[in-house]
Amino acid sequence: MSETVAVPENLDALQTLLASESVVLPVGNQTKLPLAVDEHARLVSLRELSGILEYEPSEFTFTAYAGTPVAEVNEVLRERQQYLPFDPMLVKAGATMGGSVAAGLSGPGRFRYGGLRDFLLGIKFLSGDGEVINAGGKVVKNAAGFDIPKFMAGSLGRFGVMVELTFKVFPLPSHRQTIAVQCSSLANAMQRMSDAATSRWELDAIDYRPGTNTVFLRVAGPLEVNQVLVQEISDLWGQDVKPMPDAEAFWQSVVELDWSDSDLSFAAKIPTHPVVLRSLVPWAEQTAGVDLHVSVAGSVAWALCESQHEVDQLDHLLAENSTAGLVVRGDCRQPKIGFWAKQDIASAVKMAMDPTMKFPQL
Amino acid sequence: MTSLDGLSSIFPSQRFVRDAAFQAAFESDGLTAFRAKPLAVVIPETADEVVAAVRWCHENSVPFVARGSGTSLSGGSLPVADGIVIALNRLNRMIELDPSERIAIVEPGVVNQHVSDAAAPHGLYYAPDPSSQSVCTIGGNVAFNSGGAHCLKYGMTSNHVIGCKAVLATGEVVTMGGRSVEAVGPDYTGLFCGSEGLFGIGLEITLRLLPKPERFHTVLVGYQSLLAAGDAVSAVIDSGLLPGALEIMDALAIEAAEAAVACGYPPGAAAVLIVELEGPEEKIEYERRQLNEVLATTGAFAERVAVDEADRLSIWRGRKSAFSAVGRLSPDFLVQDGVVPRKRLGEALVRIEQMSRESGIRVANVFHAGDGNLHPLIMFDGKQQGALERAEELAAKLLRMCIDMGGSITGEHGVGVEKRDFLPEMFDPSTMAMMERLRLAFDPKLVANPGKMFPSTEAPSLGLSGLHPLEKAGVISRE
Ligand SMILES: Cc1cc2nc3c(=O)[nH]c(=O)nc-3n(C[C@H](O)[C@H](O)[C@H](O)COP(=O)(O)OP(=O)(O)OC[C@H]3O[C@@H](n4cnc5c(N)ncnc54)[C@H](O)[C@@H]3O)c2cc1C
Repeated sequence: MSETVAVPENLDALQTLLASESVVLPVGNQTKLPLAVDEHARLVSLRELSGILEYEPSEFTFTAYAGTPVAEVNEVLRERQQYLPFDPMLVKAGATMGGSVAAGLSGPGRFRYGGLRDFLLGIKFLSGDGEVINAGGKVVKNAAGFDIPKFMAGSLGRFGVMVELTFKVFPLPSHRQTIAVQCSSLANAMQRMSDAATSRWELDAIDYRPGTNTVFLRVAGPLEVNQVLVQEISDLWGQDVKPMPDAEAFWQSVVELDWSDSDLSFAAKIPTHPVVLRSLVPWAEQTAGVDLHVSVAGSVAWALCESQHEVDQLDHLLAENSTAGLVVRGDCRQPKIGFWAKQDIASAVKMAMDPTMKFPQL
Repeated sequence: MTSLDGLSSIFPSQRFVRDAAFQAAFESDGLTAFRAKPLAVVIPETADEVVAAVRWCHENSVPFVARGSGTSLSGGSLPVADGIVIALNRLNRMIELDPSERIAIVEPGVVNQHVSDAAAPHGLYYAPDPSSQSVCTIGGNVAFNSGGAHCLKYGMTSNHVIGCKAVLATGEVVTMGGRSVEAVGPDYTGLFCGSEGLFGIGLEITLRLLPKPERFHTVLVGYQSLLAAGDAVSAVIDSGLLPGALEIMDALAIEAAEAAVACGYPPGAAAVLIVELEGPEEKIEYERRQLNEVLATTGAFAERVAVDEADRLSIWRGRKSAFSAVGRLSPDFLVQDGVVPRKRLGEALVRIEQMSRESGIRVANVFHAGDGNLHPLIMFDGKQQGALERAEELAAKLLRMCIDMGGSITGEHGVGVEKRDFLPEMFDPSTMAMMERLRLAFDPKLVANPGKMFPSTEAPSLGLSGLHPLEKAGVISRE
């Protein structure tokens, strides 16, 4: 059933469709294909429900239809010197705002001010029975009622069809500068990431590429301040520090998950901490057809894999580490890999939010 | 009467308390006008004891109220008359603090300030800073998604909680999130934060720590009108700066603070604005110039820049004492906690002034201007017939104004008992129905903190008046 994607043009059409289909999986532009297919569900794309509805630069907030391309949002914000600090992913690939929320993906900028979940303020969505739910709020601070918007970040379209999203935004720093720090080992890289993360510098991003044993540090702010901080880091780590003139292309390749020269069509997200990294990184280095990028000062790893074979190995390794992963790209059988805890509450919450079981199980 | 035999066998007698005098300490919280006597207070020392108590409550359909330090300003930790209180202060172990991962794993009874104290030797701190931070607990902060003066830049409690082990109201023990700031799958940790004790009890909470800012630049600015101060906030925001704090106090609040702590704010100011920048030395050096330029255009008549840390703290002392200080101007007061879009702050203040005039009730204003979070203090004398009711009427009008303006009925103090009747005014029936279903998913027997957040007839409505006992003792002040 997956092949035919219904594309309702407005809310009414969406509601009608929802009522007429027994099982529905909402999608955006399917840039995260493993999350946007289901054998038994009718796929419904929100891409026609697109556009920014409200944008108040002085409020630090905007509301957009779920089908709005992230690229469009980025551009409109940039015109007013604002941005989404968490670096939404797969922008060039065509990601929509709704798909980004459902997948719960944040890029390297997550390090400084928090992830997508932290900037999501409100969601208007349709529950399976077609009711319009207005969760959260449209102001930057709100503690009323249960925080359903946070729950929806990463919920993979299994609890409702998001129609409108309200986000908080921040002023865009005027300049960015990146340096590459050559490290001698994983341990050395982890130490330097940790030193950088606890330093006075207030870095904007801290990433690590195990393949070349390089740590990448990004500063963001006024040009003259960036230069002073970069100089200080260079003085500290001397010869190991190199400027990165083509840094923007580098960061974009992380956001687009396309940094590898090889044809690695699968991509997985793995939330990490040092223990996981100590087994994940050596595995990636020893395994042909795998390229790993560590982001957010060691809090998340992106694994590019050549085939299902490496994904299966990764699945096994994560299960051993009691860690969950998510395949976001590639022609794969099951996006959930590794260890996903089974808790009774999950099915009770599913029933509460989707009483007619309109959306597939996770 | 419910038999508590099974429950009492879980705890040694000195930690299963039915003694009336002792229990009196648990009868109310920061919303002091309201009291209820619980059947018993249990004082667990381990997570297992909490789990056993919750399971017993679930099996026997006896309501329970988790309690941290009881500083809730909305009646969140008010006991339920036919239920028990589970007091969590003795679960106050710092389970782990990992400076290289920049996380702390704590038990729920750990006091907010103690996390930052423990992190300080590593150059780290825990960002959320409610004014009650010297006494309130992380468990209470998580339940209420508490805020503080630095939310615009750093967010609220939920932005700093990355994992939580909890016993749900059904007795199920769940682990949400983990050691990484990133996760996959639906965000249960985010949903648990702000659930006001209605889902269960947090047992082990994983917090994200941040490096302490190297330098602060704190400016106190005096204005001849409240509107001018409000406009200054917009000017600062529009300039592209992202201050750590942007706070305003009006004349009445200044008068109270001056009387209480002699903070030396500009005499004759109709409003003061506190702007605080923070970050690396060089950045602050740059941004302070930018800020100076902006402030120069805002028609301020006085400006004081903190010259050192002591001076900075003295500026903050006035701000942080403002609420307790209002106790000097009036025997009783209600504190409200509404949010309006920032651009409508000026309009909101004019309307509050108008309402105050019409009703003849004095209102002092202190607010987190950067995020449109108002804290109007409605003054009254509880000894006068009908005064509390009139003050509550005004409070209700204020909350409705926030809803009408597209804001919220609470920015950080939670709904609790106090604002539960307003939740359905903010959310439409289908959204309310979904929240009620969610509540039932976590708590099918409605034993966890019943009578809070959702409108009900389980307990009477009321308002807050007067100072918290700890405020009277000068231990804490409110924001
Ligand atoms: C003087 C003063 C100043 C204040 N300033 C601020 C401020 O600046 N910002 C702000 O946001 N708030 C402020 N508050 C409100 C209050 O301090 C916060 O709401 C705080 O988080 C409550 O913590 P507590 O430990 O006292 O919790 P309690 O009052 O004991 O409980 C609060 C709620 O949390 C629940 N709870 C407690 N522990 C747990 C747990 N482990 N698991 C699940 N639920 C639990 C309780 O059932 C209750 O519903 C202030 C209060 C006072 C009195």
